[in-house]
Amino acid sequence: MKNTALILATAAFTTGLAFAQAPNDAQIAHIVVTANQVDIDAGKLAEKQGSTAEVKAFGKQMVTDHSGVNKQATELAKKLGVKPEDNPTSQSLKKGGEENMANLKKLKGKEFDKAYVDHEVAYHQAVLDAIDKTLVPDAKNAELKALIVKVRPAFEAHLQHAKMLQSKL
Amino acid sequence: MSRVPLRIAAALAGALALAGAVAADAPARASIIIDGTRYDPATLTVKRGARVAFVNKDPFPHTVTAPGKFDSKEIGAGKTWTYTAAKAGRFDYICTLHPNMKGTLIVE
Repeated sequence: MKNTALILATAAFTTGLAFAQAPNDAQIAHIVVTANQVDIDAGKLAEKQGSTAEVKAFGKQMVTDHSGVNKQATELAKKLGVKPEDNPTSQSLKKGGEENMANLKKLKGKEFDKAYVDHEVAYHQAVLDAIDKTLVPDAKNAELKALIVKVRPAFEAHLQHAKMLQSKL
Repeated sequence: MSRVPLRIAAALAGALALAGAVAADAPARASIIIDGTRYDPATLTVKRGARVAFVNKDPFPHTVTAPGKFDSKEIGAGKTWTYTAAKAGRFDYICTLHPNMKGTLIVE
């Protein structure tokens, strides 16, 4: 399950990126917003459907943190006059998120907790890889690049937190 | 020297004396900026009684938690939490929401 989740999450990022040319800033802004939104949606579900206080709290924190990042990213895009542009990576992320949600909605109790947390581990790992290999190197605008660099440690913290939860499930 | 500048000089001297007296009595103030999921500076030394402001510039909440010593609870995006360093010692603290965030407050 863990490996499947990792492969799916990684695939979501690489499908669009591997064969296309480097994304432009408008596409990077769209990828950032989409990647956050996918995790907000899963977090909202975990707040409701998680079976332990820890899983619910983690879901709630994902909603809070990723919403905060998205607010900042959206404000920056507006300030820079960049209109986020849909692209294959965003579409792949959205599709992956929808598949994850459909799968999670069918699960209950410990099964839900495990599937949600496994996916969060894989997803945050994939997001960090995308930040390091694509989003930061390809971002042209200094402020957009700085925003991505600045939020990276929070995503690293989420990954560590999710791994800690995973080890208990 | 005319009388006017003398009076200004006297007023300035008085103001400086007053400022000196206030500064000597007032507890020191210091700030730690929380930005990019980091405390800056990560290590800070203050005198006992200092008021230390933790300013959260990130777009999501953080905490400043030294287990059993002090705990800010959630400091929302853009908010500040001020701790009065009443006790001397070395206090290692973390953010309970992002435990890879670590800081140290040394109170002399």
